[in-house]
Amino acid sequence: MTNIIVGVVIVSIIGLSIAKVICEKQKGVKCIGCPHAGSNNKKSNCSCNTAKLDR
Amino acid sequence: MKIALTGNPNSGKTTMFNAITGKIEHVGNWAGVTIEKKEGDIKKNLNKTGIEITAVDLPGAYSMSPFTSEESITRDFVKNENPDVIINIVDATNLSRSLFFTTQLMELGIPVVVALNKSDLNEKKKTAINVKALSKALGCPVIKTISTKVSDNGLEALISKAVEVKGKSQTAPYDSKRIDFANAKAVEASDKKRYEFVNSIVSNVEDRKVSSNHQTKQDAADRILAHKWFGIPIFAAVMWAVFSISQTHLGPLLADTFAGWIDGLYAWTEGMLGEGVSPILSSLLLDGIIGGVGAVVGFLPLIMVLFFLLALLEDCGYMARVAVVMDRFFKRVGLSGKSIIPMVIGTGCAIPGIMATRTIKNERQRRTTAMLTPFMPCGAKLPVIALFAGTFFDDAAWVGTTMYFMGIAIIILGALIVVRITGEKNARSFFIMELPEYRFPSIKRATISMLSRGKAFIIKAGTIILLCNAAVQVMQTFNWQFQVVAEGAESTSILASIASPFAILLIPLGFGVWQLAAAAITGFIAKENVVGTLAVVYSITNFIDTEELALVSGGADVASVMGLTSVAALAYLMFNLFTPPCFAAIGAMNAEMEDRKWLWGGISFQFGMGYVVAFLTYQIGTLITTGSLGTGFITGFIAVAVMVGYVVHLVIKGNNKAQQKLKMSA
Repeated sequence: MTNIIVGVVIVSIIGLSIAKVICEKQKGVKCIGCPHAGSNNKKSNCSCNTAKLDR
Repeated sequence: MKIALTGNPNSGKTTMFNAITGKIEHVGNWAGVTIEKKEGDIKKNLNKTGIEITAVDLPGAYSMSPFTSEESITRDFVKNENPDVIINIVDATNLSRSLFFTTQLMELGIPVVVALNKSDLNEKKKTAINVKALSKALGCPVIKTISTKVSDNGLEALISKAVEVKGKSQTAPYDSKRIDFANAKAVEASDKKRYEFVNSIVSNVEDRKVSSNHQTKQDAADRILAHKWFGIPIFAAVMWAVFSISQTHLGPLLADTFAGWIDGLYAWTEGMLGEGVSPILSSLLLDGIIGGVGAVVGFLPLIMVLFFLLALLEDCGYMARVAVVMDRFFKRVGLSGKSIIPMVIGTGCAIPGIMATRTIKNERQRRTTAMLTPFMPCGAKLPVIALFAGTFFDDAAWVGTTMYFMGIAIIILGALIVVRITGEKNARSFFIMELPEYRFPSIKRATISMLSRGKAFIIKAGTIILLCNAAVQVMQTFNWQFQVVAEGAESTSILASIASPFAILLIPLGFGVWQLAAAAITGFIAKENVVGTLAVVYSITNFIDTEELALVSGGADVASVMGLTSVAALAYLMFNLFTPPCFAAIGAMNAEMEDRKWLWGGISFQFGMGYVVAFLTYQIGTLITTGSLGTGFITGFIAVAVMVGYVVHLVIKGNNKAQQKLKMSA
């Protein structure tokens, strides 16, 4: 029984971490956690692509 | 309703954006910090209208004719996305230069409100601006603002004025008529006329007591801090002080308490689990998750102190002087002086640093800077520096400082090689940078910067680092038949079998064991993983000594567990710092370079540089300390000779290309 509880705890911790990573990646975050690494998808109105057109 | 915040670089747009939206976007006391547009809703206490107002922070621009790509973001936004109102942030201390852009904005037909920012600095300089006269001359409302003040900062009046002018027409004070932008002479003549017009306004509205050519204390400070010879040793001393405080004195003191909590959590969990739990599950939770993540998070206080001090340096205006000092060297190796900005930003995280290279117009310089920026030790590499400095060297401060200067030296050497390979060694660049005024650094801004980076560190530790450590623990526990590896047979584990072939390549560098190779490999996912993986593979839960306020619990013990000499440890540290950055940063390099050849060339160069530096450090260091060369010298020497030979071949090819170019131009 104890093993099952510990197993569930470990799976929950790892599951939450994976969920957070997927969530951040879907937002277009390049470096998870980094406040200034920017995002590069259309949803976030990031202007990186506009900048490239003008080079 | 949409409001665009525009203005010259370093006029305080992002500070105002943060103040009116409550966001915490990165601000810096120099030009070129913002390279993307950012959006946020205006805070309710500033917006009494009930209308939803979105503010858009745009990169700084000097004019509507963009010179760099981030300036074009500003032009495109105000021209094509039709904001309802433009708030033009004008630096009150530099009115004539700022109003050039204002008069251009007013020609667009979008209502403009001028925010006369940094008004407090003007008062200190005894410069008075007649706001009413300025408003009349420009034909738009002008509001005095001080974005850095919490109250009585003029921001509420500014927002309500912006709402008021929405949809109303304004007459542009100056009409440039239609000019042919392809005709450089016509554009120059038009700009001259506009400057004359702007200067006439400024002479009428501004009462300046101190003339601009008057030598101030700031100029005197610049003569010392940005001096061509004294500048470098002063920078070295400053960095040493920063590392000394963060990694030898204040940092470990705070880390001590923090490490105690992690130890407590480990002990509590161990007690809760008892003896009935499967050892596999127990070690995964204790060593893999709590131990691995705890070892990385244990360095958080040291890193937060370091970021706090770096934020103070940036805020007081010193880092802009460092850019000037470095320009002399960068220009000689074909880089732009602007290259220092991405590199300084890269000390926080390589990704925004690489992204900041888009402020560089020249393609080769931009790509070279994107390739070389990761050589500056970023925040993720700091735990690795702190760990090795503390474990193997008594004085942690000089190790960190040396790594920064090694990074700079490698960047200069790398740029020298790249400029010769590309056959552009005769190309010269010019760097014009507006030096911000020195100011007393804001503790609040530095604290916000420190906390946001600290939060980032914890999020990363709780996600990427945790997952990697769990994976490392599993791979270390089982072999390929998925049977538990017996004690003493760890080299049969999945992890050991993956890392061992790489470890062979590392023998000439002094650290050819699978544990260290595995840590270096996981470092490519995130550099903090090096510390986490070392903690997992050597079963060390805590690198911070809670009893002796030292960086590492029994530094000598940890060193002996790793089986490294001090020289090999230094080589291992350099290998991890100067080989390619994490995958996310490589992705950013790919996006900014826009060229596969450059990307793969850059990655190969980073691998080669890391290998050569580590090889030289280990072999020369061993020769000095023991009187004989280290293990695997011959093999390593051959590998290094092949790498150097290939680079020389490329340089010769580039030189021929340069000579051909010269002949053709002659």
